[in-house]
Amino acid sequence: MDELLADFIAETREMLEQSGTELVAWEADPSDRARIDTIFRFVHTVKGNCGFFDFPLLEKLSHAAEDALAECRAGRREADPPLVTAVLAIIDRIGELADLIEAGEELVEDQNDMALIAALEADAAIEVQSDVVPVEPVSDEQDDAVTTAAKRNTVQRSIRLPVDLLDEVMKGVSDMVLARNDLARRLREAGEQPTIDGPFERLSAILADVRTSITRMRMQRLEHLFTSLPRLVRDLSSELGKQVMVDFEGGEVELDREMIEMIRDPLTHIIRNAIDHGVESPVERLQKGKREIGLLRFAARQSGNQISLLVSDDGGGINTERLGQKAVAAGIYTKAEIDRMSDAQKHQLIFEPGLSTADEVSAVSGRGVGMDVVRANLERVGGSITVSSKPGEGTSFHLHLPLTLSIIATLTVSSGGQNYAIPRSYIEEIVFGSASSVEFAQAGARRLITFRGRRVPCLSLADVLGTQDNERCEWETKTLVLVRLASEDVFALAVDRVHDHEDVVVKPIAPAIMQTKLYAGTTLLDDGTPMMLLDLPSIAQMRGLVGEMRSKPAIADEQTQKKAKNGVPLMLFRGLDGRRRAVRLELVKRIDTVSCDAFDIDGARTQAVIDGRILPLAGLEHGTLPEERCRLIRLSDGDSELVYAVSEVLDAAEMTDELVVSADDASIEGVTLVEGKPVPLIDGHTLFFRYSTPKRIEQPLKCRIPQDSDWARTILEPLVEAAGYRIAEEDDDDADLAIEIAGNTAPHGPAKETIRLRPDPEDAGDGSIYRYDRESLLAELKRVRTGRAA
Amino acid sequence: MNDLLLMCTIAGRDAAIPALRVQTILEIDDVTPIPGTPDFICGLTPLRSQALTVVDCALALGFDQPCSSPDRRAAVVEIDGHLYALLVDSAQDVSEARSDLVAIPGGLGEGWQRAGLGMVETETGPVVLVDIEKIIAGPPALAA
Repeated sequence: MDELLADFIAETREMLEQSGTELVAWEADPSDRARIDTIFRFVHTVKGNCGFFDFPLLEKLSHAAEDALAECRAGRREADPPLVTAVLAIIDRIGELADLIEAGEELVEDQNDMALIAALEADAAIEVQSDVVPVEPVSDEQDDAVTTAAKRNTVQRSIRLPVDLLDEVMKGVSDMVLARNDLARRLREAGEQPTIDGPFERLSAILADVRTSITRMRMQRLEHLFTSLPRLVRDLSSELGKQVMVDFEGGEVELDREMIEMIRDPLTHIIRNAIDHGVESPVERLQKGKREIGLLRFAARQSGNQISLLVSDDGGGINTERLGQKAVAAGIYTKAEIDRMSDAQKHQLIFEPGLSTADEVSAVSGRGVGMDVVRANLERVGGSITVSSKPGEGTSFHLHLPLTLSIIATLTVSSGGQNYAIPRSYIEEIVFGSASSVEFAQAGARRLITFRGRRVPCLSLADVLGTQDNERCEWETKTLVLVRLASEDVFALAVDRVHDHEDVVVKPIAPAIMQTKLYAGTTLLDDGTPMMLLDLPSIAQMRGLVGEMRSKPAIADEQTQKKAKNGVPLMLFRGLDGRRRAVRLELVKRIDTVSCDAFDIDGARTQAVIDGRILPLAGLEHGTLPEERCRLIRLSDGDSELVYAVSEVLDAAEMTDELVVSADDASIEGVTLVEGKPVPLIDGHTLFFRYSTPKRIEQPLKCRIPQDSDWARTILEPLVEAAGYRIAEEDDDDADLAIEIAGNTAPHGPAKETIRLRPDPEDAGDGSIYRYDRESLLAELKRVRTGRAA
Repeated sequence: MNDLLLMCTIAGRDAAIPALRVQTILEIDDVTPIPGTPDFICGLTPLRSQALTVVDCALALGFDQPCSSPDRRAAVVEIDGHLYALLVDSAQDVSEARSDLVAIPGGLGEGWQRAGLGMVETETGPVVLVDIEKIIAGPPALAA
């Protein structure tokens, strides 16, 4: 049964029980105000809840009782025994109806119900009341009654628990998992012990199940959040003289309870904004040829351990022009910077503190506090928010949320011999300080690196933590983590080493540690040692990196700089047909080189697997893919990503000449001169329209590999990951594929398919693959992937 | 009166912590330091699946020397939902207070004045009853 409905019924019953004594007391003394209040609250709540469901009868009854009681509370009517009787009859009937709803019966209005309502009338004749016989059950036929009873017995019983208790149990289970990991390590060190290993495995499996169940206990459907929204939308739209309807999708998606509470406020804020600034007034909408009723859509989807929630309106969109002016007026950007921004970048301005496009400050929004706070709150729980908008067509906010409040995907880095975790959502790229593509520079006291034509400020983690002075830092030996904050600020963080991806459970830290503004939380590793989670936005803030030094395309040589022409930055490349083309640099996210095994080409559908994600692949219309490896330009419009296959990447350039728009080819914006030669500029807009799929809906398949084999870890793992799989953790409870190696223990845990490898080349005739037969292995991995992903 | 006290030594003096607030006594071995935090915070140490913030009581009271104890004993307390391990020179027994709190005579040092709730008589003599909230707040920031 619908969970919401179950809640409704449980709540109604609970209140019935509580008000049972009140009812009796009220009967004894009908004028007792306190009792009237309690009972009024009860029928009022029932009536309110009916609004979410379609129970006209229930609503009618509770409404009638509420009206009568309201009269009493206002002192316009005496609570006389006939009224008490009538109200009690209605409350009894509500209880009965709740039973019927639970058993899944139809609610049929009958004579009695009308009589019950009539009995509430102040001047209802006494005879009517005496006519009110104790209400019969709706079905008086024997067999009906039996089936009803049977149905009622099968109803899922539910109880309410304090969330604290759940947390307590969850903590206990986490403890057990830590203890299990510790024990597992010791058992591994002790070698094989058949008598112990078997039971231990069983214990592990049970523990994994229990852990899953506990996590599920804390899950709640998004419907819980959605149900409170229509009311909010209605109130707001009537207050602002707009007409808005709401549409929900994906209410069955489940989220951690706490997470739901955390996003309630941000969501409310977004809705206020949408109704206040987004949706136009009915008159205006009709003039524009839209329906006068605006539409606010909520669509939720789960992908892996992320929930994406899209809130979109079909209003006027964001006025980038005005937003840009405001940003200049507020002194956040210079006009030149704004002019260089793409529309997508301008949209993100609404997250800047102190900006609002509202001309009038209404009571609802536009007080200049707002989206920046919303973004900060979402980031605090490990989520993110982006916005996209089309003028005249509407605005969409895209929220990404972790499934549970406390589990965050991180990258472990070390500095000064200690490990720290960085939320993976901020990491754009990792490069070695010694790489030839990285140049270090110094401007005043600030380190800069030039990487891919961008100047990026660089911090050393040791310096941030105060463990080592910048003077003594050997930059070339460091690993640089390029961090992109949600504010679009980019900086490089130099660390000693980058270790591993880990999903960690983040725990709050004591205020005295919070005051350092360096850390966002702490987590315990498998062996129980604590590791701190770095608070990158705050570190960037303290170092003055936010909104100050934007990463501007570093201008290649001094001469062009002197010209001071603000051209549009482009990236030049050769397509698969060898022709030179250009793409706007702001769309380019990075450049990848992948082996051709990573492509799935199936008729018109072309995709590439990169870092375990499946992205649409464009550029094939110009020629065929090379045999072995292919260069890909990864493009992003801020919302979706795609890759564009090229034969080589040439250079960054500036478009200083005008663009000659081509009318007959939609795939290019036009042709421009670069260094005196004409170059077609590909049209990102068309490209994304044609290929765009929302980010990250594809989930990488999980693959188990033997844990006790070094070969599997060092050779097999990268191969499997490159083929678009994610390596399953020991405690993952399901996997799509397992790879067994003869002579090693099989990876434990269930998997839908198994590939077996053998250590020597002779065919064993058992369907296994020689472990260095890369081609067969990749073909097999691809078969499993495409077979499942299709 | 008759309050239970955990008798301990902090910075070489007899002191007491309200025993009701103490969850357990730990012997701390591994502490993960946290760069960037004030001196009196030694770092984190794991206890089951939680991380305790380890606070050196002597440094927190503003003394120069950290707690010196061979067995690194600490009293585990919970303050505002966070768990702390208060590191002391030594922790002895729990005993009963034999008097009400009286004001601390001057001259014990500024740290004691600030973080002491008062003096209490016990069977072994007078001790300073410390305010654990004040301890975790650390020494007052020195004027830079």
